[in-house]
Amino acid sequence: MDMAGEDATVQLEKRNEEPLNYRDGNMSLQWKLNGNNLTNTSMVINPTSNSMIESLACSSDSMADSFAPSIWNQPIIGQSLGYCDLNVKNNASTSNTLGNGTGSFGPVRPNAMLKGSTFLPDFPVMLPPSLPHFPADSGFIERAARFSCFGGGNFVDMMSPFRISESLNPYTGDSLEVFMGNGSKSLPVMQSQRHEINAIECSKEVSLPVELGTESSPIKNDKMIENFPSSHDEAKYGIGVLAHESDEAEFSGSGFQEELEDAAGESSAKGLGSKKRKRTRQGTQLNVNNGGRQQATETAKDRAEIQQQGDQNQASSKPGGKHDKSGSQGSDLPKEEYIHVRARRGQATNSHSLAERVRREKISERMKFLQDLVPGCSKVTGKAVMLDEIINYVQSLQQQVEFLSMKLATVNPLLDFNIEGLLAKDPQAGPPSSLAFSSYMTTPYPPLQQLQTGTIQAVLPGLGCSSGPPQGLVKPQFSTVGGRLRESTSHVHCAWEDELHNIIRMGFNSNDPLNSQNLSSPLSSHMKTEH
Amino acid sequence: MTTLIMPSNHNSIKTRFTYRFARSLKKLNKNRPASQSMKETYRRYHMIRVASYASMASAVGPKRAWSRAVLWKIRNRTLHRTLMKKSRIHALRTRKVSGNPNDLRKLVPGGEGMDFSRLLNETAHYIKCLRTQVQIMKNIVDHCSN
Repeated sequence: MDMAGEDATVQLEKRNEEPLNYRDGNMSLQWKLNGNNLTNTSMVINPTSNSMIESLACSSDSMADSFAPSIWNQPIIGQSLGYCDLNVKNNASTSNTLGNGTGSFGPVRPNAMLKGSTFLPDFPVMLPPSLPHFPADSGFIERAARFSCFGGGNFVDMMSPFRISESLNPYTGDSLEVFMGNGSKSLPVMQSQRHEINAIECSKEVSLPVELGTESSPIKNDKMIENFPSSHDEAKYGIGVLAHESDEAEFSGSGFQEELEDAAGESSAKGLGSKKRKRTRQGTQLNVNNGGRQQATETAKDRAEIQQQGDQNQASSKPGGKHDKSGSQGSDLPKEEYIHVRARRGQATNSHSLAERVRREKISERMKFLQDLVPGCSKVTGKAVMLDEIINYVQSLQQQVEFLSMKLATVNPLLDFNIEGLLAKDPQAGPPSSLAFSSYMTTPYPPLQQLQTGTIQAVLPGLGCSSGPPQGLVKPQFSTVGGRLRESTSHVHCAWEDELHNIIRMGFNSNDPLNSQNLSSPLSSHMKTEH
Repeated sequence: MTTLIMPSNHNSIKTRFTYRFARSLKKLNKNRPASQSMKETYRRYHMIRVASYASMASAVGPKRAWSRAVLWKIRNRTLHRTLMKKSRIHALRTRKVSGNPNDLRKLVPGGEGMDFSRLLNETAHYIKCLRTQVQIMKNIVDHCSN
């Protein structure tokens, strides 16, 4: 905000020749406006940029009241905001003539008024309780949106298209809160009426401007005030919400975007998103604001989404789509510009939780796929158990590879590799029989009886005779399965190396078919006992 | 003299792996020393294992994170074979009961620096390739031993 404010102020200051005058003028105006609940000396124009911003934040709705035409004389801080034309240098003339400036203050007045009122830099934050009295007229939001643009920019331009007549009336009731929420960057906001609509639509999250228009409670003002200095985003908020018809008011879109981008933190993503949104939204800057605003509320997820989807969102999409989505509680809002996830009914729509939900769904989807891949996991439910199974399976596969490579190391190489034959040997779904205690035994191994030769059987004696029950348990599996080990326990792992050594040792033994038969029964018994 | 009969599916991972692995086995067996000491065999075993993983990883290509990690490890591992062996033995001995994602990360090559959903993806592909590897190696063993 400060940045934007500073930018604005820089511009303003350039234009303002006598910013100091404003203060006086403001003061005087203020008192005049007191009747209008101008509790805040909103009319005080603080030439300093920061102060302007603060004033914006602090200005309460009452300022709107005070913006009687007489107020327009006030040296609008807007100058600091860049009301070059508005140079309301003159002081407290309550007349509608707005200072020297360029002269046509008429159109500028409303803006000037609003801006001036909002720019109460030094005024104590006095949220006028008068807010409630603001008429919640339909045009309020519109007007509020109009005046939401703070900071530098062609305020005059913005003002020109303004219908003063319209604006005048509502101003009495309008709360300048709008400005408060808008903060420094809101200038670009004042665009088309569509913004207004959008603002209304999407402003579920943005409580400030909309509420201002409707409820105008002091609390909201406070909120705005609080929010205002806090972040640019909120300024965007206000801007977005207050989108109003800009008509010809051409905002320095680029500047705005810059501001958006300058916004702290999420700015880059948001600026991007806001830019995109701007494009999508018929080029209205309100969209940008909305985007920014939305982004303010929706954090990482939005950013990710926006960046992913980039320009996907089309102008046709509802401007408030995203807002609605995030704002509504489980309502099935039809379109979301950037988020593909829909908050289901009764589910939290916080951006964090939305992102979290997407992540969780992805993970569960992949777990399901893995469940199909890993044999024996269909009955298992729960992530933890599934993970254990998966880990076990991967470990067993890796051990099989090791075992097989060990076998290959010991086997005399036969040079004629029949590749086709190798590939064609699909694992038969032979009954693992005694080997089936593990669900991992998917790859059928040729039955033991067929293993008349080969290192495996040579290994059997060695394995069968070696030590301890744990190893004994492992070995039968090892030998019968021909490498398909199921590791139900971790301690089996430590037996591996020993077994491999055994294999090497035993690999040189002559084949002993008798052993295999002898071993098969004890092996099976071993296996059965194991489980 | 290897009689290579072209398989029907020319470009599957299975085929590629088989070719590469067979080639590497041939190479390894060419230099097979007459003496089959345990140490020699152990070394051969190691080389064959590395060869099988390398063939599978290269058959898969660089598309997968795990294959890239495997190839990278192998390239850098040849210089530090002994160290690897020692660490592997130590790891085997001290391996604990599996407790979820970290173990899986250790198991799947290249799984350290991934988020969980990507890790699951890689695991699925890795499992599929491991299965193929095991199957082919079994076939080879059967073929060799018959």
